[in-house]
Amino acid sequence: MRVVAMAMLAASLAACTSERLPGGVVGDPVRGKIALTQYACQSCHLIPGVPGSKVYVGRPLSEMGQRKVLAGAVPNDQAGLMRWIRDPQSIDPHTAMPNLGVTERDARDMSAYLLSH
Amino acid sequence: MPTNRQRLIIKTAVLTLMAAGAIAGAAGLAVLYGGWYNIGATAQHYAFIYTVLEEGMKQSVRNHADDIKAPRLGDPAQLQLGARVYRDKCLQCHGGPGVAQSTIGMSMQPIPGPLVDATQRWEPNELYWVTKHGIKMSGMPAWEYHLSEEELWAVTAFVTVLPSMDTRSFKAAVAPGEAP
Repeated sequence: MRVVAMAMLAASLAACTSERLPGGVVGDPVRGKIALTQYACQSCHLIPGVPGSKVYVGRPLSEMGQRKVLAGAVPNDQAGLMRWIRDPQSIDPHTAMPNLGVTERDARDMSAYLLSH
Repeated sequence: MPTNRQRLIIKTAVLTLMAAGAIAGAAGLAVLYGGWYNIGATAQHYAFIYTVLEEGMKQSVRNHADDIKAPRLGDPAQLQLGARVYRDKCLQCHGGPGVAQSTIGMSMQPIPGPLVDATQRWEPNELYWVTKHGIKMSGMPAWEYHLSEEELWAVTAFVTVLPSMDTRSFKAAVAPGEAP
């Protein structure tokens, strides 16, 4: 009995410490979380796990993994999310979200973090 | 006259407080001189520290701006001047609708907020006070000695109309042109 409880505890701890990525998603979510703060994403968006002001200039980025579509236009898979992060005007020419010059690697890691939270 | 028992209680209490104070002081010095605290801006604040600092900032601004009365804001010439000041002094850190801040403003901590929602948080007299005096330890500079009174109110006026601007009208307003 005790062994089973210990095993379950160990398993749940492992689930907490190692970021598990959803199927098909690549990149480094730990690095991605820092990258999000280095491109000022939290200045306009509420981001799970990132401290900041209560801002609603951009939509909150919680539960991004559950969304099906981005900006009503492209499928919310990693490729679509990376494209939105790097060049939002290519998807919605009128969006107020600026192009922040995000590199491909940073966008991949950011999307890995967002899609696993 | 206190009894021996009362004397013992007082002595124990005083010595305990002194010991606790000494330990707390030693722990504080160890943290201060140990350099363990990560001062780097890639490491985020703990959420409660951010919240407390932000609340303190808000209340301080409210209190200090209380006596300032905003003049009538928003005539076209004033907004034009305000747009030029915004372009030259604010845009690089705060960005604007559809316009990114420069990399200087992207990775600061605390992050300079977007100003398109500033009127939801601040009254015009408070925006003027923050612009004029800056915010300690936040990277927000004081503009009192670098902008005229007219320019300070003009940029305040421009910030109050930001929510009504879309990407195109904002870009037109801050297009390169004459310096203020």
